[in-house]
Amino acid sequence: MKNIGIVRLFFVAALAGLLSACNSNPSHETACSPPSGHNLDQAMSAARFDLETGCEARFDDYLVRLLAIAEGDPGKENKAKFSDFLLWANEEGLLSKRQAREVYNRYFGIKYVSMIGEYSVCSAACPRQPDLMREMKEELSDKETGLLKVSGDRRSYQRAHQLYREAELVLEATCMACGPTR
Amino acid sequence: MNVPVSDPCKNPRYLIPLLTLGGLLMLPLSNAMAGQAPTIKLFPTTVLEEIRHTGDVAKEMETGLQPVIQRLDQQQQLYQGSKCEGGEGDPGCERIARQLGDTYLEMLGIMADRLPEMEQAVNSTSESLEKRLRKELGRKKTPWSLQELILGEQTGQAEDQKPALRGRSGMRLSTRFSQYYKLVARPGTKANASMAVVASDIYLDMQETSQLIARTREEINRATLMEQLNQSFGTITPEMQEVVAGVKAILFGEEEEVMPIAEAAPGRPDDEFQSPLKL
Repeated sequence: MKNIGIVRLFFVAALAGLLSACNSNPSHETACSPPSGHNLDQAMSAARFDLETGCEARFDDYLVRLLAIAEGDPGKENKAKFSDFLLWANEEGLLSKRQAREVYNRYFGIKYVSMIGEYSVCSAACPRQPDLMREMKEELSDKETGLLKVSGDRRSYQRAHQLYREAELVLEATCMACGPTR
Repeated sequence: MNVPVSDPCKNPRYLIPLLTLGGLLMLPLSNAMAGQAPTIKLFPTTVLEEIRHTGDVAKEMETGLQPVIQRLDQQQQLYQGSKCEGGEGDPGCERIARQLGDTYLEMLGIMADRLPEMEQAVNSTSESLEKRLRKELGRKKTPWSLQELILGEQTGQAEDQKPALRGRSGMRLSTRFSQYYKLVARPGTKANASMAVVASDIYLDMQETSQLIARTREEINRATLMEQLNQSFGTITPEMQEVVAGVKAILFGEEEEVMPIAEAAPGRPDDEFQSPLKL
């Protein structure tokens, strides 16, 4: 009888152990939470691990979080870190080369990816001039994050801002000159 | 042999080395040209001349109006200094008011005479610039190459070479056109990047000026008629004061509204990180 009791006790303990092991296994949602903390390198490592182990659908959330972490420690070297991160994302198949370029330039480039187009200004930009200006303004806000807050590159941000103002002026005049027929 | 040896251009023995030499000489030139962006022509000589002419016409108009407006100011001060406001029955005040009305009509007359020429000059410059903007920026450029042009990358133009415009108000009309002319005609500012901004700024300014002139011309006939009616009552109307103030603002500028449209941006650092993802 004593032996049976010991076996039962062992069985119960084993079951409890299994159950607690199950509880400590994070759910998929918990596993895909973007990194926290203040160290960008550590956060990027953690993000890479998550993104290559099933969290690729939440790439944008991870990027936004990494940018927020980088804002805590701005520096020009952050540009290179994000460039490497996006190149890695491309190599891992998380982003196409074009997407990687667009994301990088949206945040860290002076020129506006909103203005990418293969047709003439009269035919491509003028019919959607108000939308284009709105998109550029949103991109300027992302450049403020990337260039100014993350990279501490005030000079490049000023150039991007100047480009926005001048592009607005030139587009207004050019589209007026193109006329309604375009 | 029929080919004379003395003519190297017709002798194959000399022709091949000549062509090779010519090709070698042309090589650096063609390489240099290949590195250059296609030049955009926003300010050909005709446009420059039109801008200069518009400035001259504006100057003539200002010269004609300035003494009349000065006289108007003096008469108005006299009217106010004599406490004539509200004292319309006073014969002295009525005389000053009538003189003021005459000067006002004189100003309207000068404007009516000069404005058609001014309007024509402004419209002509505006139309020429419109064609240039449409062709050189609207049709030849994509949105991407347009921003490259503005940024000055295609010409490699240094940021500190960009001209600083001083805005569309705050100075005499003739001074404005004179500055425009100097800006686009001075040597060393032929770089495309800044010219796109300058051309756009001038064109938008011309459009506004043209609309303003058209409205003013419409108003002059009505204002003249109104003043002729007012003359019989010998009063100064608030409208008179507004019109005079408006004319002064258009022609002679308002000092407090000086606002730069485009200013020199800071230079580019040499040690800037260059990502392989950079567009």
